[in-house]
Amino acid sequence: MLEIKNLHVSVDHNPILKGLNLKVNKGEIHAIMGPNGSGKSTLASVIAGREEYKIDKGSILFFNKELSELSADERAKKGIFLAFQYPVEIPGVSTTNFIKTAVNQIRQSKGKKPLDAVSFLKIMKEKMKLVEIKQTLLSRSINEGFSGGEKKKNEIFQMAMLEPELAILDETDSGLDIDALKIVANGVNKLKSKNNATILVTHYQRLLDYIIPDFVHVLIDGKIVKSGDKNLALELEEKGYDWIKVNN
Amino acid sequence: MKDFTLIKENINKESNTLLKNRKNKVYNSIKNALNFYNEEYKFSPLLKRVSKKFDILNSIPNIDTKASFNNDLLKKYKKQFSIITINGIFQKNISKIPSGLQVNVYNDLNKDEKKTFHKSFNNQDDSNNDIFTSINTINYKESLIIKINKNYSSKEHINILNFLNSKSVNHLRKLIVCNPNSKATFLEEIINMSSNENFSTSVTEIFQEENSEIEYFTLQNNPNDFHFNSINISQKQNSISNCFTFSYSGALVRNNLNIELKDKNCYANMYGFYALKNNSHVDNHTTVDHIDENSISNEHYKGIMDGNSNGVFNGKIFVRKKAQKTNAFQSNNNILLSDNAKVNTKPQLEIWADDVKCSHGCTVGQLDEEAMFYLMSRGIPKNKAITILLGAFFEEILEKIENDFIKEKIKNITEKQLEYFAL
Repeated sequence: MLEIKNLHVSVDHNPILKGLNLKVNKGEIHAIMGPNGSGKSTLASVIAGREEYKIDKGSILFFNKELSELSADERAKKGIFLAFQYPVEIPGVSTTNFIKTAVNQIRQSKGKKPLDAVSFLKIMKEKMKLVEIKQTLLSRSINEGFSGGEKKKNEIFQMAMLEPELAILDETDSGLDIDALKIVANGVNKLKSKNNATILVTHYQRLLDYIIPDFVHVLIDGKIVKSGDKNLALELEEKGYDWIKVNN
Repeated sequence: MKDFTLIKENINKESNTLLKNRKNKVYNSIKNALNFYNEEYKFSPLLKRVSKKFDILNSIPNIDTKASFNNDLLKKYKKQFSIITINGIFQKNISKIPSGLQVNVYNDLNKDEKKTFHKSFNNQDDSNNDIFTSINTINYKESLIIKINKNYSSKEHINILNFLNSKSVNHLRKLIVCNPNSKATFLEEIINMSSNENFSTSVTEIFQEENSEIEYFTLQNNPNDFHFNSINISQKQNSISNCFTFSYSGALVRNNLNIELKDKNCYANMYGFYALKNNSHVDNHTTVDHIDENSISNEHYKGIMDGNSNGVFNGKIFVRKKAQKTNAFQSNNNILLSDNAKVNTKPQLEIWADDVKCSHGCTVGQLDEEAMFYLMSRGIPKNKAITILLGAFFEEILEKIENDFIKEKIKNITEKQLEYFAL
């Protein structure tokens, strides 16, 4: 599904990713771990199409098509979803209207008819249960005045509504208490299927107690230096990132 | 500019001595003012621009006011109440005036009415000494007098439609008297019937008696207009004024909004929205003067500038010594969409009372890139994301409009402009 080859990315001429390789197949969950500043969030943003990041070298293929020329909305239409580390507050835009616009834009790109108000509401109600998000929250402006947990739930709710092929969760566990973490993880697990894939970006092992990854990759200084299964995460938790640095 | 003889002759022809004296007084004051630099027009050199193009002091008498006017122009306003002028001359036969309102021109008033009229009318020339108000005073041909009856109350708005058809200079003048317990809504527009550049001034004085309420909407959307607009409101006890100024284009448009809260418990709301493209230039200068205690003023202007357009905001709040327990709020927010768009904004507060609550502030920024990326990452295309964000910015002003008809009209005009910005 996703194939990243020798990816070099810089921001304001500062190289951040320095030759990253990653392959994600349908039905897989990948965890990307690494210390602060190693390039985890950059990787997440660059796949989603944030414009400030410049691809100097390498390629990102999604279903064998190059992504780098596509704008963020075009990538979303192809099935890529980014759950933000810091979801943006947008005063004056109602969450429901926003999600409805997004859902219909994506449906339209797939040649489907836009949802009418009734069927949209029906789907929304179903998905709301999944992440235990309240209706009152959705009638408010996007993320405005939401708590940290509510913002993250809203991200997973949007993911549920948009049904992406590839979901990238950027530090979705940060700022969550244990109850909210369980709800969010539960949502992600329920949305998992044979046909989609998930990339979890995190620097704690904690989230991986609730979402079991098929692969764990360690990202240090812009490169994946070690890959393994879920046991790698446990080992990291115990020994710290320095352990890997020393061993490389 | 140098030739004042014609204007002097015109003033001397004035048969009404009261008006003649008034005009002479103003004439003497502007003769000098024309030659001096005026700080109030620092960012909007209207005088300089128009005096090159138009003979601003000597408006040419219109021989045929109705040339190029036809009733099709009124189709859009069918079934609505409308007070209509052509080149500043009141058109009673095509106006549609609700009962409860009396609309006259000065010359039709009887002697007593003229006397009362002079008590209130024209006072603005003394109090604010604005050069264009003065030019208007000595040049207007006919003054419209709108009286709103005691206890009049209607949700239906009344259009004030000013059609202009000549390349010459036009001066519109009117007085609105809101009698006690009345409530009325006006929507004023200037409709330029030719695509020529033109210069016009409009001075409106509004007197609000006790417990009266007025909503006054100004809609500006003529790219070739050099226009000076001044609305001056004087409020008595328990009265409410709601002023909205919407500007979408203009060669150089200056709006003065001056509100005097003369008594206790007055309430003034001032809202503005300007969304400009190309070379449009719109300047909003507002003053609210808290003279007595316990009044509230609330001001919010928002603007979006694209292309080479130019926005100016200058808001002044005065809180006099006697005006204790005043609440006065003012803010101005701007979004610049292009490198060449410009805004100059200046909030001002002068407070002499010691028990007041006041705030003022302004912001100038660009579209929030984080918010843009957030929307786009959900599959919303860039142009749609821009209109969503600008629409949200506008929403704060739109939601203040109570009249559904006007709200819909303003919404449609704005949406069109926002879509243009997103191209």
